[in-house]
Amino acid sequence: MDAILNDIALLARPALFNIYFAFASIPLGFVLAIFFALGKASRNKLIANLCSGYIYAFRGSPFFIQLFMFYSLALAFNLSLWKPLGIDWIVLNPLVLGPAILALNTTAYSAEIFYGALLTVPKGEIEAARAYGMTGAQQFRSVIWPHMIRLAWPAYTNEVVFLFHATALVYFTLPVIGDQQDLMNKAGELYQRDYNAFLHFPVAAAYFLAVSLCIFFVFGLVYRRLTRHMPGAAPMRFRMTRPAR
Amino acid sequence: MLDNLPEWLRTTLGDDFAFWLGYLTNGKHLTWYASVQYTLAAAAFGMLAALVMGLLGAAARNSRLGPLRLLGGLYINSVRGIPDVLFFLFFPLAFEQTVELVRAQAVCTPETLAANVGQWPPCDAANWLLGTTEYLALACVSLGIVYGAFAANVIAGAMNAVPKGQLEAARAFGFTNSEVLWRFHIRQMWIYALPGLSNVWLLLIKATSLLSLLQISDIVLLANRLGAPNFSRSAGLVHPDWRWAYYLVLLVFYILITFVSEKVFAALTRWASRGMSVASPA
Repeated sequence: MDAILNDIALLARPALFNIYFAFASIPLGFVLAIFFALGKASRNKLIANLCSGYIYAFRGSPFFIQLFMFYSLALAFNLSLWKPLGIDWIVLNPLVLGPAILALNTTAYSAEIFYGALLTVPKGEIEAARAYGMTGAQQFRSVIWPHMIRLAWPAYTNEVVFLFHATALVYFTLPVIGDQQDLMNKAGELYQRDYNAFLHFPVAAAYFLAVSLCIFFVFGLVYRRLTRHMPGAAPMRFRMTRPAR
Repeated sequence: MLDNLPEWLRTTLGDDFAFWLGYLTNGKHLTWYASVQYTLAAAAFGMLAALVMGLLGAAARNSRLGPLRLLGGLYINSVRGIPDVLFFLFFPLAFEQTVELVRAQAVCTPETLAANVGQWPPCDAANWLLGTTEYLALACVSLGIVYGAFAANVIAGAMNAVPKGQLEAARAFGFTNSEVLWRFHIRQMWIYALPGLSNVWLLLIKATSLLSLLQISDIVLLANRLGAPNFSRSAGLVHPDWRWAYYLVLLVFYILITFVSEKVFAALTRWASRGMSVASPA
């Protein structure tokens, strides 16, 4: 029991790194995803193809490879670009590069979710808005946007949880500087020390589980608010249709 | 390799082509191409294991026994709270240690056991050294356990989607319960499960990129080695850091696999739904 409590204490700080990675990448990914979803639905063929190409490429390849590729790409430009500009300590910092690559990845997955929601926005309401003489921006703000967010929210919740799980991969690729360790890294180090796999990994798993449940809970509250005008609406049920990377 | 080409072809293609052909077919690159077999084997056998685990998980989820139902639900839901990479590292380690613990009871003397308290392995004789094959087998099992939970969710839903009338008709014809289960229920379940299983396969394919974490020299590990800046004492700098190019090749490789898989599953769905009254499956 003491060993478990000790592990919980030891892994508390590493857990913050996973939480940081998720929190730093989600807002950026959310905003970019909206633009990519609108782009994919755009009537301009070039924009639509570019956006769907981006989404397909990032959803069709493993996040692990994406991490490796963007990290080595950043390294390759170090001497010619980052160093002369004096920004190498920012670009190559895992605390900046990690969230950046995570954001690129979650943008693609979230954009696909928002795009799916965009297609199911009731056509009649858009026609009604147009009949009222609303401009495109007005239509988007008062009709399309509220519907899209509400329709996409359960799937987006899943995406956020799986993004949080993907943060476990970051330090398998990016350099660990000093004691900036995440959960997997620290659990692995503890395992190397006493070879007690049955203690350290389950405690790390418990941290992931706890944070995942928190995300489900908070996003569930937001969903209740998004659907407050629909009294009979079923509470959010999570499905596992498109998870993990 | 190049000497076999006819003279006119060599002169038209030029020295650049000859260099790249030579570079891309040297021994290290051939090893890299061959290492695709680990990825494909892990994907194929991992999917097989996932289907078995999926059927077991779905059976537990829909079982009449309360505790079994609870266990099935726990199994299916665990993958939503815990990252796959954690399972992927944990299962092989846990399995290895369990085997070593069991072996230690048989082969270790009480003296060595007492001397090694708090250390691992309990004694040298019980140490189990794993090679690539063993790690690959463990990787397949881990993939099967993790993605089996996703598959179980899909299969449990598909089992409930089979029209009840079909089963009632089969029973009315006098088929026994197990015949109804295997020849009608599970036979028809696949068509409802196919879209979901295609999703599980796409996830599993992407998870095969993690094989290098289990000390398997797969395409990712070798790409890292091949692309790293290459110095040699006689030739100086052979090439600078080319890792990003190698990873780009892997990225394209995985996108192509995804593309082909989608096409194959679309054809499979069309084939499986022929003659069935299923509303145009995706």
